[in-house]
Amino acid sequence: MPIKVTAAAREWLLKQGGVVTIRLSPRHGCCGGGTHVAVAEARTPDDPFAFTRFDSEGLVIYFAPSLEDQALVVDLQGLLGIKKLFVEGVSPTRLSE
Amino acid sequence: MTTHLESSAPSVSEGMGLFERLLSLWVALAIVAGILLGQFAPAVPEALSRFEYAQVSIPVAVLIWAMIFPMMVQIDFTSILGVRRQPKGLVITTTVNWLIKPFSMFAIAWFFLTVVFAPLIPADRASEYLAGAILLGAAPCTAMVFVWSYLSRGDAAYTLVQVALNDLIMLFAFAPIVVFLLGVSNIQVPWDTVALSVVLYIVIPLAAGYLTRRAVIQRRGIEWFDNVFMKRLAPVTPTGLIITLVLLFAFQGEVILEAPLHILLIAIPLIIQTFLIFFIAYGWAKAWKVPHNVAAPGAMIGASNFFELAVAAAIALFGMQSGAALATVVGVLVEVPLMLALVRIANNTREHFPTAIEARG
Repeated sequence: MPIKVTAAAREWLLKQGGVVTIRLSPRHGCCGGGTHVAVAEARTPDDPFAFTRFDSEGLVIYFAPSLEDQALVVDLQGLLGIKKLFVEGVSPTRLSE
Repeated sequence: MTTHLESSAPSVSEGMGLFERLLSLWVALAIVAGILLGQFAPAVPEALSRFEYAQVSIPVAVLIWAMIFPMMVQIDFTSILGVRRQPKGLVITTTVNWLIKPFSMFAIAWFFLTVVFAPLIPADRASEYLAGAILLGAAPCTAMVFVWSYLSRGDAAYTLVQVALNDLIMLFAFAPIVVFLLGVSNIQVPWDTVALSVVLYIVIPLAAGYLTRRAVIQRRGIEWFDNVFMKRLAPVTPTGLIITLVLLFAFQGEVILEAPLHILLIAIPLIIQTFLIFFIAYGWAKAWKVPHNVAAPGAMIGASNFFELAVAAAIALFGMQSGAALATVVGVLVEVPLMLALVRIANNTREHFPTAIEARG
């Protein structure tokens, strides 16, 4: 499994309950059309069976099957004490799947 | 930042369906339909124009909200938390979008519309077209940039951050820039009119979008919001856009029939501005050794415009029959072919930029 979670993201996720969901979130263009952006959230997916699950160093990671062979990196960024997860490493040619 | 596993760029058809690829055609058909409506059923636009409250046309306001609200709902302002991820890219895009783009648009449009084309466009009409160009230049793209980024293999996470940052700046910078540049152009618009249009067409849809997003996510969850709610809401924007254009050209019919050449003349400075802004941002990114997956979306956001907002502001400030409204519609007309040309340029020049891995050292 090529998914990596940075140390900062891992530490924060463990404090949030130790579960992360990585999925594709649609973004719609104003003229129609659109694409997907890979996002990570500290929660269990609505339908866990639609995701691939694996455990890694205390974390339960759910990810969309279309992201399976991607070299993903889940990183944590923040400002003024508010934190957010970002997903790096998704090939844009896979975002339409 | 992003490690690309595949070398080929996505095809246009992967990011854009038939409707959006042929947007210029639909806009042209909306122009024809609007002109026919105005010529053969003038009672329809006249009746609609009577529904006013506090000098705001209710049907027009509804159509404009229909265009803008779905775009505002999908803005995730928490993405701003990633502002330190690609600092060079954000410095370039913020500087170009807010310190260069509005002023270069004004300068180019002023030069062409009031100097070069002076023998072809009456002075009062040229001023109105200039006002429309100023409105187009004052707001960078907020939604289609995801498509342009995708088609040029941009970093999607970076694109999220730059859109959130630009939308936040737009909230505060749009009105002062517009008032300043209209003032420089000797086009007098009362501050309260500008303030009203900003409140009606930026603040209210943005606040409603934010509250709707929060409420829906709280009640049904983020996945339902993304996969069901937004899927249903997304077609409202292009539908609102096309109906607005039909209505707008029902009022503009006489002008178009008298001077169809004006559309071409307005398009010339808009096309030059699009390429100029793209090459300034793209060239700067190249000089700063910014990776291509950041340089491309960073240059696309400024080259493309938030034209729904420009159309809305033009109608609110100058009316449906104004030259300003016509100029903003020309922006819509040329948008997709121009941006696809820029996507092609970005994809063909990728090797001149460092890859994400090389940029990280």
